[in-house]
Amino acid sequence: MLSVHQDVLQIIQAKFSSFEIVKSVHLNVSILGEYWSEQHHILAVVAYHSNSALFLFSSKKPKPFHLSDLIIEAVIPIDENFECLSDPIPGEHNYLLFVVRYRKVSFEFRIKIGPESSNFASEIVKSKERFLSEESDKRWLLKYTDLYNSLENTELKSQLDDIPFIRQKMAQNQNSINRDSMLKYQLKLKEPEFTQYQEFTLFIGTWNVNGQLPSISLKPWLSSDDDPPDLYAVGFQEIDLSKEAFLFNDTPREAEWEKMVLDGVHPKAKYRTVALTRLVGIQLIVLINTKHYQYIRNIAVDTVGTGLLGKMGNKGGVAIRLELHNTSLCFVNSHLAAHVEEFERRNQDYKDINARINFRKYPTAIKDHDQVYWLGDLNYRITELTTSQVKTLLIRNEMAALLRADQLNQQKERGNVLLDYNEADITFPPTYKYDLNSDTFDTSEKARPPAWTDRILFRGKGIYQLAYRSHMELRISDHKPVSAIFKSEISVINQAKYRKVHEELLKRMDKLENEFLPQVTVDQTEVKFDLVKFREPQFRDIIIANTGQVPAEFEFIKKLDEQSYCKDWLRITPYCGTVNPGEKCDVRLEVNLESDLTELDDILVLHLNGGKDMFIIVSGKGQKSSFTTSMSALCRAPMPIMNLSEIQWKKIVALEGEVLYSIPRELWLLVDHLYKYGLAVRDLFESNSTQESFVKIRDWLDFGSTEPLPGSVETIAETLLIFLSYTKEPVIPFHLHDVAIAASSNYQSCKNIINQKLPDIHRNVFLYICMFLQELLRHSNENGYDAKTLASLFGEILLRDPIRNSKPQASRENLVSFIIF
Amino acid sequence: MSGGPYNYSYIFKYIIIGDMGVGKSCLLHQFTEKKFMADCPHTIGVEFGTRIIDVCGQKIKLQIWDTAGQERFRAVTRSYYRGAAGALMVYDITRRSTYNHLSSWLSDTRNLTNPSTVIFLIGNKCDLEAQRDVTYEEASKFAEENGLMFVEASAKTGDNVEEAFLETAKKIYQSIQDGRLDLNAAESGVQHKPSTPGRNNLSNDNQANKDNCSC
Ligand SMILES: Nc1nc2c(ncn2[C@@H]2O[C@H](COP(=O)(O)OP(=O)(O)OP(=O)(O)O)[C@@H](O)[C@H]2O)c(=O)[nH]1
Ligand SMILES: [Mg+2]
Repeated sequence: MLSVHQDVLQIIQAKFSSFEIVKSVHLNVSILGEYWSEQHHILAVVAYHSNSALFLFSSKKPKPFHLSDLIIEAVIPIDENFECLSDPIPGEHNYLLFVVRYRKVSFEFRIKIGPESSNFASEIVKSKERFLSEESDKRWLLKYTDLYNSLENTELKSQLDDIPFIRQKMAQNQNSINRDSMLKYQLKLKEPEFTQYQEFTLFIGTWNVNGQLPSISLKPWLSSDDDPPDLYAVGFQEIDLSKEAFLFNDTPREAEWEKMVLDGVHPKAKYRTVALTRLVGIQLIVLINTKHYQYIRNIAVDTVGTGLLGKMGNKGGVAIRLELHNTSLCFVNSHLAAHVEEFERRNQDYKDINARINFRKYPTAIKDHDQVYWLGDLNYRITELTTSQVKTLLIRNEMAALLRADQLNQQKERGNVLLDYNEADITFPPTYKYDLNSDTFDTSEKARPPAWTDRILFRGKGIYQLAYRSHMELRISDHKPVSAIFKSEISVINQAKYRKVHEELLKRMDKLENEFLPQVTVDQTEVKFDLVKFREPQFRDIIIANTGQVPAEFEFIKKLDEQSYCKDWLRITPYCGTVNPGEKCDVRLEVNLESDLTELDDILVLHLNGGKDMFIIVSGKGQKSSFTTSMSALCRAPMPIMNLSEIQWKKIVALEGEVLYSIPRELWLLVDHLYKYGLAVRDLFESNSTQESFVKIRDWLDFGSTEPLPGSVETIAETLLIFLSYTKEPVIPFHLHDVAIAASSNYQSCKNIINQKLPDIHRNVFLYICMFLQELLRHSNENGYDAKTLASLFGEILLRDPIRNSKPQASRENLVSFIIF
Repeated sequence: MSGGPYNYSYIFKYIIIGDMGVGKSCLLHQFTEKKFMADCPHTIGVEFGTRIIDVCGQKIKLQIWDTAGQERFRAVTRSYYRGAAGALMVYDITRRSTYNHLSSWLSDTRNLTNPSTVIFLIGNKCDLEAQRDVTYEEASKFAEENGLMFVEASAKTGDNVEEAFLETAKKIYQSIQDGRLDLNAAESGVQHKPSTPGRNNLSNDNQANKDNCSC
């Protein structure tokens, strides 16, 4: 572990339990893909006993300072399904592409090459090794994956079982990795529904040409059958034995042999080269009948040397992979170690080729293909028999005895090589070693025993071998060429059916995506309040129930051109929150009427993050009250306002009709009561009376009564303050505010405003209140009020702003205190 | 082809508007689920649905907002017009009043969306021929006069439903191709999604997008 990241390591460790150990981290990872690139990302390998996982974090800063900077974006278990590889990035020498695959999902990270990346990579390799030796248990990861937990639906769950856990936000963000991989996976499962098998004829050939020049026609080998094959895979060994070829892996023979092959193919069809690959003298060409060419995709080649030093190209294997229609094919041409006694070396070469061939495409390895054809000079010999014994058995045609002595058969039987490959019965004579230009086995001094060094094996479903033979006519080499004809079942996509299945799946995915949208129900979409009265709050609860598959984040949102998400007479608590699937949340709607509204109407928009919006209609009727009626109107009312007829009320509100009182009756009743009973009461205005007692006084004023004014003097004092605070226009009308405040430091100008600018009723009220305050001050010994306190208390109310308390306080006090004295 | 075959390259926002009960929600449901809802409750709010479609070989994700048609929500649903690339304006061929209100829906749409928004007029419930109250000719003339695309459709039988949604998308896509629609404008209703560099190829890349397309 690099010490520079020790601090980061600790921060990340803080995200985990003490059994979950952060083994290694990599900072500054960028991710290729659509959504991610802009954030800072960090990778971490975390171990839990013998299990490990790769965590992908997004971080608020390049280097996190606190664990809250980190969000887990994805969790990929490091188990048997975990694969990783690195690729160079063209043009970026300091970076490499680190590709992680988990089943069908892949992530691509760009990381800087250096000690950090190599340490990190080795930790991943170690984790994977550690895993392979122990049992897999992914349960510890579940807690990091809200996606996984929220899936109640088992159908969904089984579909998601096969992919790593990706943070739900991303899933909700219509993450295409998820969608893509899900679709591919589903398509794979449904393959039988849209594919049918079609037989293709494959010609596989192998020939060790012993470094000879391509001087003869290959027709006797490549076109000895009546019908042309659909595909050729032709392998050569030892096409060039020169030092130059060995050292520089370059030889003119490559093109020459390719031409010989193209000239030698069956005349009844046209072929073109699909791929050619070569390692020193080991060459492989795949040709396809031109009519099939368009159905070939994803061609890749790779070569592996197993010769000198275990890696030089004098021995080894070359491979070509491709997809023909919907079947993946792999052809391997190998030239394994020589010498009779070296069969174990040959086994090892085979294993090395398998392990090291890597097509860097999916699938990457030989074994991952639907069909594999393995050909070449495998170099296995006949043991336990002398040359003359072999020859005698051959003359007597006792093939069984000979084949029992064949090392490949023996080693294969023991499971040491080509384990699950098949080979047809050999009915042709050994293909090695002949005198050049003859059909005679080696007559040189060494007189090597003949052997079936040249072989063709196969692996996979639906492969039927029609022929397996050698071609004696080709005599330029000390080996004879071998060929095999296969009828192989290739899965062909029925376009019409494919389109149907694909469409259906897309539809299903759309449906799934729609199901993944947050869904809630609200128990009532129309909330009606009873008659709403001044300062008498009411509430209704609504229940938001999550009926969807994912947590629902809700919020009441503003409508176009509105200031707030609800009218000012309404309060919503909570106005936002999250409800988990299957759970509920109570939301309280509370009305409190402080204006003269008679119709209460609002439509609330309950928005689900990433989903639909619901409307909730709130309605109610407001009851009129003297508290919210203008003072000019009240002075015209001959009786308590609730006793007025509708017509009378309308007239009064329109300020029609005679002014009956110089100040509102209600104000007089309150103040008069305080004159009589309250002047000497200590802390008169400090009461905190109950809702109930206020309501009684309000109704007494609004409805009128023969009973005495209910409530304590403190409550009545408070009611007076409320009355003055809510009158439709404040005592100093809004339009005079600025003038009044500007004049506040000058007694004379204040007086002028009061005398000349205030409407009559307002002036009456103002003076009446001032007189009352002066009266209070006369009793300040008993009630404890001084001028300053009273001025600030009443100044705020008499000069109230439409939006309360937005003007400097001091000047209001001044205004009032000038007046009082 | 640059991206994986199933990544979408654009997101188009649609709104569905029209009087209550004309079948807006049923049209959305038919389009996303291929099902008809015989007794669909009034939409009280704005429903949301998505589907990925193929236009000219491009995968496009439609984000569809189905609005409440009741008059009392009219002021609120106006908030949802903004940024729509397509507006499906629906009336019910068996109820003349729903047709008469179209001019008011149209003026809302024109006022609240941008000039490149594609407006598609749908005469729904064309399965109810016997109760027809608005002739095809009349509506088609209205559409022509106002430069709208028009079909009669049925959310019940599915007739022309797919077509209405897809034709709208095609028209929007054409606007993008012609450069008439400015993708950078926040209100275009279209978001561009760059596809991921495709690494893993599934079979059928070649065939998947061969749907013939006139544009
Ligand atoms: N016969 C017939 N009935 C339909 C068709 N489309 C909708 N309906 C019926 O008409 C009624 C109203 O349909 P909705 O989709 O709820 O109407 P809406 O426009 O969404 O109404 P709001 O949500 O109130 O704005 C439902 O009872 C449907 O079953 C159609 O094409 N044919
Ligand atoms: Mg609806």
